[in-house]
Amino acid sequence: MSGTDQDFGAFVAARATSLLRVAYLACGDQAEAEDLLQTALERTYRNWHRVERDNPEPYVRRVIVNAAISRARRRAILRIVPTRTLPETPARSADVDLRHVLMDALRALPPRQRAVVVLRYWEDLGEAQTAEVLGCSVGTVKSQASKATAKLRTALGETSVEGVIGNARA
Amino acid sequence: MPALEDRLHQVMADETARLHAAPDLAERVIRSARRRRMRARIAALTGALAVAAATPLYLTAAPAAGPAPVVAETPAPPAIDDTPAPRSAPPDLGDLGDGKAFGHVKVGYLPPRLQWGHRSWDYGDVYSTSWNYDGDEHGPYCVHIMVFEDQAVQKLDDEVQGYRAEGEGEEVTVGGRTGYTVVANVGEDGGKGTPTLFLTMGERRRARIMLSPLYADDLGGAEAVDRELRRIAEGLTADDQPALGRRLAGD
Repeated sequence: MSGTDQDFGAFVAARATSLLRVAYLACGDQAEAEDLLQTALERTYRNWHRVERDNPEPYVRRVIVNAAISRARRRAILRIVPTRTLPETPARSADVDLRHVLMDALRALPPRQRAVVVLRYWEDLGEAQTAEVLGCSVGTVKSQASKATAKLRTALGETSVEGVIGNARA
Repeated sequence: MPALEDRLHQVMADETARLHAAPDLAERVIRSARRRRMRARIAALTGALAVAAATPLYLTAAPAAGPAPVVAETPAPPAIDDTPAPRSAPPDLGDLGDGKAFGHVKVGYLPPRLQWGHRSWDYGDVYSTSWNYDGDEHGPYCVHIMVFEDQAVQKLDDEVQGYRAEGEGEEVTVGGRTGYTVVANVGEDGGKGTPTLFLTMGERRRARIMLSPLYADDLGGAEAVDRELRRIAEGLTADDQPALGRRLAGD
């Protein structure tokens, strides 16, 4: 095994589970998350000599999140080709506990809003870092985060005073 | 009650706690990358051999000067593919070069700075490709064109009829051809919708030209969006139709 392969293997061993979780939250489907991660890692491996100088993780994360958004968009486009079979969507559980309500609401968000939520509240990235990953402005991140959290609050039934106060504080 | 952000974080932690990357993931990635590299080399070698085979003998018979030629070893057979099959993806249109000719149509105009996005799909009577800023197949698209032919035409016409019935969009004439523009909602986020121009390209062909909501923002206003959509439509011609420019030149 070459030095490159060893370095790459060490990086994957250390970070792949964390990146898999990001991929899952970004796309909402485990099989697709595994595919996204493998795709992103293959691309990273091909560019390892350039990527390894800095921390490779932001690069992989950026590929994962943007690929998830891109795939979601392609699925949206395929929906307007009426004769084609849509990709399967994961079965929804009848369980109505908080976790399922929030995860269903997260899956229902448009892909870019979902990505903003994952990067901001799971990866704890700042607005500027999130904007950099998504290739958009900080203003877009702010507006997408605001819309996303409003929808999540609605899903939780927080449309009343608490939600208004929360939004006002934000 | 904890803030929504904290609850979200906890829910996401609970939801993903069961997920763990496969122990052999790095090995699979490395093997897959090597197979890809090997396929590219074989394709390049095959291309070179094809060129050599097509070269007349008198061009190759002269004694070679310089170092002796290196005889390539026969590449080892690819390793057994034990990675999971990729999820089914639609067939694509292959390498389109600059992407300006695909299926049965040619793109005569694209806004500045756009490159072919190395992404396409092909269902026979419906096919499409797209362009973006950097040609990255994983990057967000800027312009996307879908072409509907033969049996698929009716489905697109029905969709346009739906917009007409609801009073959305407007009829347009582009380069002597009829069309319909609308800001469609196809499930994308990031803007008010997807600026779209449906173009009639003869009895058996329609095109759906779309600008992404984010690219529409970059263009800076409805007027610029409309202008670019029309320019793209005007330059879009079919293989079996004379290009507008040629027709005008001949008039």
